[in-house]
Amino acid sequence: MILTKNVTKYFGGFQALKDVSFEINKGEIVGFLGQNGAGKTTLMRILTSYLPATSGEVIIGGDDVVENSLAVRRKIGYLPETPPLYSNMSVKDYLKFAAQMKDVPGKQQHKQIDRVLEECNIGDVKNKTIDNLSKGYRQRVGIAQAIINEPEVLILDEPTSGLDPVQNLQVRKLIKSLRHERTVILSTHILSEIEQIAQRVLIIKSGQIIVDESLDLLLKSQNGESTLEDVFIRLHSNTAESIDE
Amino acid sequence: MNKIFIIAKKELATNFKSPVAYIILILTISIFNIFFFMIIDENREVSLRDVFRVMEFMFVFLAPLLTMKTFSEEKLSGTMEFLMTTPTTNTAIVLGKYLGSLIFFTLLIIMTTVYYLIIEYFGRPDRLATLSGYTGVWLEGAFFLSIGILTSSWTRNQIVAAISSYTILFLLYFSASFTKYFSGPAETVIQYISTLNHLENFSVGLVTTADTVYYLSGIVVCLVLTRFSIENRLWR
Repeated sequence: MILTKNVTKYFGGFQALKDVSFEINKGEIVGFLGQNGAGKTTLMRILTSYLPATSGEVIIGGDDVVENSLAVRRKIGYLPETPPLYSNMSVKDYLKFAAQMKDVPGKQQHKQIDRVLEECNIGDVKNKTIDNLSKGYRQRVGIAQAIINEPEVLILDEPTSGLDPVQNLQVRKLIKSLRHERTVILSTHILSEIEQIAQRVLIIKSGQIIVDESLDLLLKSQNGESTLEDVFIRLHSNTAESIDE
Repeated sequence: MNKIFIIAKKELATNFKSPVAYIILILTISIFNIFFFMIIDENREVSLRDVFRVMEFMFVFLAPLLTMKTFSEEKLSGTMEFLMTTPTTNTAIVLGKYLGSLIFFTLLIIMTTVYYLIIEYFGRPDRLATLSGYTGVWLEGAFFLSIGILTSSWTRNQIVAAISSYTILFLLYFSASFTKYFSGPAETVIQYISTLNHLENFSVGLVTTADTVYYLSGIVVCLVLTRFSIENRLWR
């Protein structure tokens, strides 16, 4: 579904991504892990065609992200780190705008809006102005926007950052319910979250992928380290040698 | 094509949901009304020529206010990332935004047609000159808006966007005043660049190809540059 070959990204002289290659199959849920500034957001922006890679190739569902960018964008639902909301619109108006912008056919727009309102559990605030919503609701409106065109690939950049534990649980439940028939990529630095949702983890450190493994295997292979947190901290401490896949 | 209208509609809806749009409309129309009265009272002639001059001068101040947030606000709130990851071409985004502010501006112009009705009632104005004057004012405003949209695409700060377009508009508008310090080709170029000279023709009923081309090419250049600007990921 998603094929990334030797992707490198420079911002001026700074190398944000170094030779990133991986493949994600249909239906997988993959967690991008890494410290702040490791390159998770940059990688996601390249996958969504928002940023062009300096070199390398990304193919999503058979289409090249640069050459067929419009076709790729039709297959993707993307939630950036800050939910991209128009604060003076009502939730319903915003979702309608999102549906129109994402080529949802006119007849289906109403149905799709009702569907995402229900799936994201935001029906009770549909007529409220986005400005007045709490962070948890905003995040869910952001997710609603991402799934309004029933994308095959869902890319969520830190979907649970800054939420309280209850909201966090709600969003996590929502993501779990969305994974049917979809490829989901999410990034976070809350490790327990990844453990609960993802099947596979990609650990990114200073722009490089240092671990790409299924979560079960990764946890099994680490003697004495029972949680992902232990693994993550060891990989990021300077004394430990970095492991390659 | 469809997307252009969707974006334009959203722009207009956003405009009219905030009080700023109404304040700008009411304030501008009030100022126009005062000048209209003063000019008619002073000149005692049934012509809108001087009214068009005032309108042009006012648009130098108005256009940046109308356009400063078109792109900068989207960049600041992160919605630019949303727009640019939907299956929408950059051209459609730029044209949609432009159409939105153009419609708002056209509304303002339509509100001033009342002046024509007034002079038509009291006298026998030169209809063609009035029509060409309106065309000129509209083209000029359309050009100013495209400059405002261009500067708005440079930054995420609305104030910076507004100041940049003020700088460009002042240079364009007042460049005619500097011609006396130049001679030869430089003078010709500055004469051509100055918006003042071009509108002058329109307001006396003279529609020339040179003037029309000046405005239209200005608009096209600004919109194409805007497209490059939002395409260039370094700005974001």
